[in-house]
Amino acid sequence: MQGKRALVTVHRDEVAPRFDLCTEVLVLDFDEGRVTRRKDLVLAHPSADELCDLILRMDVETVVCGGIEEEYYHYLRWKRLEVLDSVAGEIEVVVGALSQGHLRQGDIFYPEAGQK
Amino acid sequence: MPFARPPATRVKERRLHPEQMLIDPVYEQADVLSLLDGLPVGVVVLDAQERVRFMNKQLEALTGFSREQALGVPCRHVLRSGFCLHQCRSGQGHGAGQSVETDIINRHRRKIPVRLTQVTLRDRQGKALARLDVVEDLTRVKELENALSRPIGYGQIIGRSQAMENVLSILPAVAQSNSPVLITGETGTGKDVLAEAIHKASPRARESFVRVNCGHMPEALLDAELFGGRAAKPGEEPRPAKFQQAANGTIYLAEICDMPHEMQSKLVRFLDEGLVYPEGGGPGVKVNARLIAATHRSPEDLLREKALREDLFYRLNIVRLHLPPLRERGEDIGFLLHHFQEVYAARFKKNIRGFSTKALRLLLSYGYPGNVRELRNILEYAVMVCQKDLILPAHLPLLLVQSAQGEPVAVGKSVAKKKKA
Repeated sequence: MQGKRALVTVHRDEVAPRFDLCTEVLVLDFDEGRVTRRKDLVLAHPSADELCDLILRMDVETVVCGGIEEEYYHYLRWKRLEVLDSVAGEIEVVVGALSQGHLRQGDIFYPEAGQK
Repeated sequence: MPFARPPATRVKERRLHPEQMLIDPVYEQADVLSLLDGLPVGVVVLDAQERVRFMNKQLEALTGFSREQALGVPCRHVLRSGFCLHQCRSGQGHGAGQSVETDIINRHRRKIPVRLTQVTLRDRQGKALARLDVVEDLTRVKELENALSRPIGYGQIIGRSQAMENVLSILPAVAQSNSPVLITGETGTGKDVLAEAIHKASPRARESFVRVNCGHMPEALLDAELFGGRAAKPGEEPRPAKFQQAANGTIYLAEICDMPHEMQSKLVRFLDEGLVYPEGGGPGVKVNARLIAATHRSPEDLLREKALREDLFYRLNIVRLHLPPLRERGEDIGFLLHHFQEVYAARFKKNIRGFSTKALRLLLSYGYPGNVRELRNILEYAVMVCQKDLILPAHLPLLLVQSAQGEPVAVGKSVAKKKKA
């Protein structure tokens, strides 16, 4: 990932399971696969509309989140943003995958995932 | 044959507790858990760390996650409900049989209203072994709830009282017919809105709805306006009459009792022959328009006072709709108060939950001589000046408060202004 800005929705130490209920975001600037700047933002209250506004204001190019409603997903896509939704996992693991360009929609990063 | 084993005796021999049956690998593979697939609700079995150990087919369909994808994943990333996120981890979600209404966002990005019931399975020492979350899709229930709570309405005409239901129930048949309609009702009861609603529900809906208030214009002007007149200058086209503008549509004449007798006779000819005769003579013009007329006075009184021609009355009185005044609409007052509060709160972008008890009492006890129009205007004002999440008596127009207290009315002042003074 080169010269890009991404935003990850955060809930405690993992990707927030819901975009509309998220009250914390992590904004990351990447350059040549390295995180050059990271900024934690705490939101006043959960709101999908306001989060979309923030995303557009901050010139984010990639959004990483858990569950997101179709309406907001298509709005962000219409604004030409990359939306990697249904991502689950600890923030650092997800950021690592993102910086290496490996992160895909629907990726789940839990060691026990898929194990009986 | 998954249901062929294990025999009941074997369960007895091994003396398994229900929680062990759920997490025991033998039973997990085929028997007890596969029974859950037959249930009409979604079920997920979680271990002590709230990771998914099993989910049934209904929940797979509801969440969009397959059993394999969900296995071992913390349930908040599979169910993705508002409850999971904010209350579950704080321990409030661990009661046996606790049931809450919430919503989930599934993998197909659909938000689904659900009822979530959590049951914790514990060992004899009370240690949590597993948890069962039962997820019931409430989409259909919510749709029905919305349909039931929706007012009986027709266009912008809304109401739940028997008096309004009597009017609204015959509207579809009235709209489909081509007969003239006479609407009566006090000022502010919604005669114009009703006329437009009839037009919009009629086969003429795609054509024009032309409204003329007969009470506002001098006689000569009204005649030319309605039936057409000569051109203002030689060589110019005469102004098209309102009747011609309403060709194939509906013409609505408000306050028909203010129309002079001569013009009323022209209306009679239109209703008989379908022809309108322009002011100043000339041949009749064929017009296909439906006539709806309205008056705020009793037509029988108008007949007695000779303000309404008898022949016109009998031709108009084929379909007569009477809109009851608000004071006779009982439960509609409370309903309309909340309706307009929501409408204006949305319009002014305010987060207003409702009314304080005192304000509601004042609003319900007021007589509303101006009917729905007055109620709507009161709510527009109250929501506009309200800076809180509840409408208080201070946000109501002064005339309403004075009327409740039996004081003389001073129009245009609010309670807040009075207090300051």
